[in-house]
Amino acid sequence: MMKKQQKKYPALDPQAVVASKNGLTALWRLMSGYHGHYLLSALMLAISATARAGIYIFLGWFVDHILKEGRFGSELLLSAAGFVCLILVQATSGFLSNQLAAQTAESSTRRLRDLLFDHIQRLSFAYHAEAKTGDLLERASSDVDTLRRFISDQAIGVARVIAIFIINFTAIMQINARLALVSIIIIPVILVVSILFFRKLSKAYEAYQEQEAVISTNLQENLSGVRVVKAFARQAYEIEKFDANNFEKYKRGRKLNLMHSLFWPVSDILCAAQMIGSNIMAAFMAIDGVITLGNYMSFTGLLGWLIWPIRNLGRLIVDTSRALVSLKRVTDVLRVAQEPLLEGTHVPEQGVAGSIRFEHVSFAYEKDRPVLEDISFECPAGQIVALLGSTGSGKTSLVNLLPRFYDVTEGKILLDGVDLRDYPRHYLRSQIGIVEQEPFLFSCSIRDNITYGITREVSQEEIEQAAREAAIHDVIMEFANGYDTLVGERGVTLSGGQKQRVAIARTLLINPRILILDDSTSSVDMETEVQIRQALQALMQNRTTFIIAHRIQSIMSADLILVFDQGKIVQSGTHDELIQQPGIYRSIYEIQTRIDNALQEEIDRVHVL
Amino acid sequence: MSTYYDENELDDNVPVKTNVLKRLVNTLRPHWKTLLGGVLAIVVVSLLDAYFTILSKRIIDEGIIPQNKAAILHFFTIYGAIVLIQAVGAFLFIFLAGLQGERVRYDLRKQLFNHLQELSLSYFSKTPLGWIMSRVTSDTEKMAELLTWGIIDTTYALVSIIVSSVFMFTINWQLALIVMFSLPVMAYAALKFRVRIYHHYRLSRKANSKMTASLNENITGVRVVKALRREDRNLQDFKVLSSAMYRSSYRAAYLSALFQPTIQMISAISLGLILWRGGIKVELGLITIGGLQAFVSYIMMILWPIQDLARVYADMQNAVASSERVFSLLDTQPGITNRPAAREIPSLAGDIAFEGVSFRYEDDEPVIRNLSFHIPYGQSVALVGPTGGGKTTIVNLLCRFYEPTEGVIRIAGVDYMDLSLQTIQSRIGVVLQTPHLFSGSIRENIRYGKLDATDEEIEDAAKLAGAHNFITHFEHGYDQNVGEGGNLLSVGQKQLISIARAILSTPDIFVMDEATSSVDTLTEALIQNGMEKLMTGRTSFIIAHRLSTIKNANRILVIRDGQIAESGNHNELMLLKGHYYRLYTQQFRYELETKLDPYGEVPNATDAI
Repeated sequence: MMKKQQKKYPALDPQAVVASKNGLTALWRLMSGYHGHYLLSALMLAISATARAGIYIFLGWFVDHILKEGRFGSELLLSAAGFVCLILVQATSGFLSNQLAAQTAESSTRRLRDLLFDHIQRLSFAYHAEAKTGDLLERASSDVDTLRRFISDQAIGVARVIAIFIINFTAIMQINARLALVSIIIIPVILVVSILFFRKLSKAYEAYQEQEAVISTNLQENLSGVRVVKAFARQAYEIEKFDANNFEKYKRGRKLNLMHSLFWPVSDILCAAQMIGSNIMAAFMAIDGVITLGNYMSFTGLLGWLIWPIRNLGRLIVDTSRALVSLKRVTDVLRVAQEPLLEGTHVPEQGVAGSIRFEHVSFAYEKDRPVLEDISFECPAGQIVALLGSTGSGKTSLVNLLPRFYDVTEGKILLDGVDLRDYPRHYLRSQIGIVEQEPFLFSCSIRDNITYGITREVSQEEIEQAAREAAIHDVIMEFANGYDTLVGERGVTLSGGQKQRVAIARTLLINPRILILDDSTSSVDMETEVQIRQALQALMQNRTTFIIAHRIQSIMSADLILVFDQGKIVQSGTHDELIQQPGIYRSIYEIQTRIDNALQEEIDRVHVL
Repeated sequence: MSTYYDENELDDNVPVKTNVLKRLVNTLRPHWKTLLGGVLAIVVVSLLDAYFTILSKRIIDEGIIPQNKAAILHFFTIYGAIVLIQAVGAFLFIFLAGLQGERVRYDLRKQLFNHLQELSLSYFSKTPLGWIMSRVTSDTEKMAELLTWGIIDTTYALVSIIVSSVFMFTINWQLALIVMFSLPVMAYAALKFRVRIYHHYRLSRKANSKMTASLNENITGVRVVKALRREDRNLQDFKVLSSAMYRSSYRAAYLSALFQPTIQMISAISLGLILWRGGIKVELGLITIGGLQAFVSYIMMILWPIQDLARVYADMQNAVASSERVFSLLDTQPGITNRPAAREIPSLAGDIAFEGVSFRYEDDEPVIRNLSFHIPYGQSVALVGPTGGGKTTIVNLLCRFYEPTEGVIRIAGVDYMDLSLQTIQSRIGVVLQTPHLFSGSIRENIRYGKLDATDEEIEDAAKLAGAHNFITHFEHGYDQNVGEGGNLLSVGQKQLISIARAILSTPDIFVMDEATSSVDTLTEALIQNGMEKLMTGRTSFIIAHRLSTIKNANRILVIRDGQIAESGNHNELMLLKGHYYRLYTQQFRYELETKLDPYGEVPNATDAI
């Protein structure tokens, strides 16, 4: 049943990532399997930086030993070739470094995305009930993307700046130590200024983005409320309101912009001051013969690469802190335990028979606030149990226990005499079919929705047969693309009743032993209601059925009717039994007769007038 | 899903149309001063950039080689002065370009928003909201980017290339020619790379939005996923999407990594040639060592402007496509406008008559056919009938959200086409089925009905609507925040607030689309009460679902297939035993069933009959 997945990429151990003591370790573990790539990328980066420094040193040598000493023969040609070679090395290793970093980043984030997708869908119901969809989405998409950029750009960027600095500094040291030390005076200043600036900038940028979100909301509300705007003729007011938000964004943008326009020139001046100072010193040294002309030329080239990249280090450091925030948001999700789907020992091969027994079952979502209390009843295989009661009386909570969406807090449920908790969840769910009142459909074709979750091959005939039985075939055939019609935003919108019938068709194909039906019918027209009722009847044939109902018509033929009130069973029995005793059931039943009488009275009244 | 619409219609090669360019220029016209300032500043900066190299050459040739320390100090003084001028220039161009960008963004958004306020309802019903959102948010962004940084970067690149070329030619024209030959090769390669990178980048964004949509669906439908044990299959499906994302994203990163090294290699060849040929010239005394150094710098620097040009070009493709969409939105004519001689009248108090009114959407089948009726001032009309029968269209026609294709609608004896839209729409109070509130406080939402209303007036309206009570129970009372689209309130509460809003606007005509969704009995009673308050003393049109509303109406119109099937009061229509009779009895059963709640949700429900 479980298909062995092809391993297209090295495995990732999420537990190791989660257990990491600090963020950088976790990031490193996130890249497991690609550590070689990443280290190679760093090595290439160092080679590239060395080659670039080499170009400048070679240029100095070229001036001193070729041009000034007048070796213009083959040595000149060879030197020129040497330059080309150095650039070749620099370019190639630069390419490899970037490519390897990108590969590491893209591969490990793809793996992380897959992992998160899978992890999220395997989290427990309790988790999903609490979690906000938007927040989970954010973590699995934009936070992962932040990590991707960190691995491919920022971490490598930091390494690059540091590598360049070390290599160029060493190279200058070789030329003249005093010159080298004088040349880095400004660096701490630039670094501090740039960190402070980028930290401020990142705040201003957030404020700017927040206002963008405000504008977006404003626009969206205006567009979706267009009828209200027009009905009250409030166009002028809306224009003014939008303008105020739009102008606020303009102002924030202007502030952000002012920060940029001050930082870059100021840092330019700082860097240039260092350049000028060092260059004058170097030029004087060259004149005094402390260094050669070639040394001077090497030095000017190396110096530029020593100073300018430092400015960006501030941004990279600020970005790192952002990546660590994203990392935490991702690991927080990974830390939550999955629902163990395969855990359990009892797996009868021929499937279950379907007899169910509740023994003093209690259940609570939160401690000490039971939603089900001391529920006991028995349902032999193939029979129908109806659950009746008001909203919040515990009906849905009870049926959620059957596929082990939740486990009982006290007591036990026996399926074919075996504790439900001995069955693996996956197995149990293969034995149970659920038809909700307004089921969730996926935005794929109607055919794919009908065959959703079916593991065997299903022929078109079979699908159509099921659709006919579910009284949805004719509806489907009315769509231009028939069974290939897409459901949802880019296709057709199905009504609640139609969705329910799609789910009925699906459940017919799955052919489960146990059925859970939600039949608290909403207001649909009479014809549809009859169709749904017939479809449900077909479905209930020969299955153990739990049917949630709000009205009596659908459950009169049930073998056992349980009337719920505040988490407890207040009445139980067959229709005939319950009708004999005073209580909720009888009053519901009587309402029907009273409605008929009232309606007749109403009609008579009209005739009298 | 804004990105979905964004990416959907982009072609790889959008031809630049001249009239789009002309309109883009027009967009810039109000900002010509900032633009000119920015361009001048960047010209100065790039001129000086190129001059730095000349200065370095002179430092070597006229300072170090002749061992002239005074000259060196002199040159570095100039150098320092240039740095300062450049810093001012950099401040100016960053500031001005950024400012202009914000202004263009502000202008475009304002223009679009204002235009959207004028478009008719029919435009919004056929254009997806996400599409419009993308035009206002992301397209304006791209246009602003092109119109500021696009221009600045191009100017910088062109000036640098031209000035560097001129300097190279003045130093040595033969060597300059070598560089000139390599330039087009570099430019061509850069362009090809950029376009390819963009292509893959766009694919990756598309893949990303598909991936997010899939994840979103999986979280929303997690119950179905778990029940049908689709986890493994869904992961496989997701892996297809994440692999597509990986491929295009990695491809883009790979090409980006390859991009610069390739350009560098091309330049390396010309560098090799220059050092070789240049070395010979140094021998012959045709070029100085400083001159050769200058050439090396120019070659290494000229890579950047060429890459800039390629980037701007690729951006432009996108931005032009964005502009076309923005302009096409701005060119959309509102379907409904004031007639040339449209009148303002103070009140719409008077009879309403539909005379042979038909309506169709563009070339479709008519949805309203030859409809005629006359409603005396102050009466109430209930519109009933099946979904899609045309009830909503009639109301939309009355509000002049749509205009009749044939026939005349008279209000107080005047053809309403002769009245201004403002007159009609400000005198009609509308309460929608799904009430739309704007984010903000309750007070602000009620005030929407009358912008200059005092707090007392607002409270009075709320009291009349029956909303005062629940409002004062909120922690912040009238200042309670309703959330985005009002989603912090219940449907019933939203409805009560929208009734208060309509009451505050003291309309002459009241239009209401009754909600089908059930609210609790108390709220229901409050809503009924509020409606009655609104209906007294004015003509009202109710798309009615509730029996009490229907029965209380002076006139009931049963609308089927765009025509009046039956018309009269409750008693008359009951006697017909036709459509109305069937609708009524079905609704009667449904309502009574809900009302006779057997579960004790309403204490005295059983006393209802």
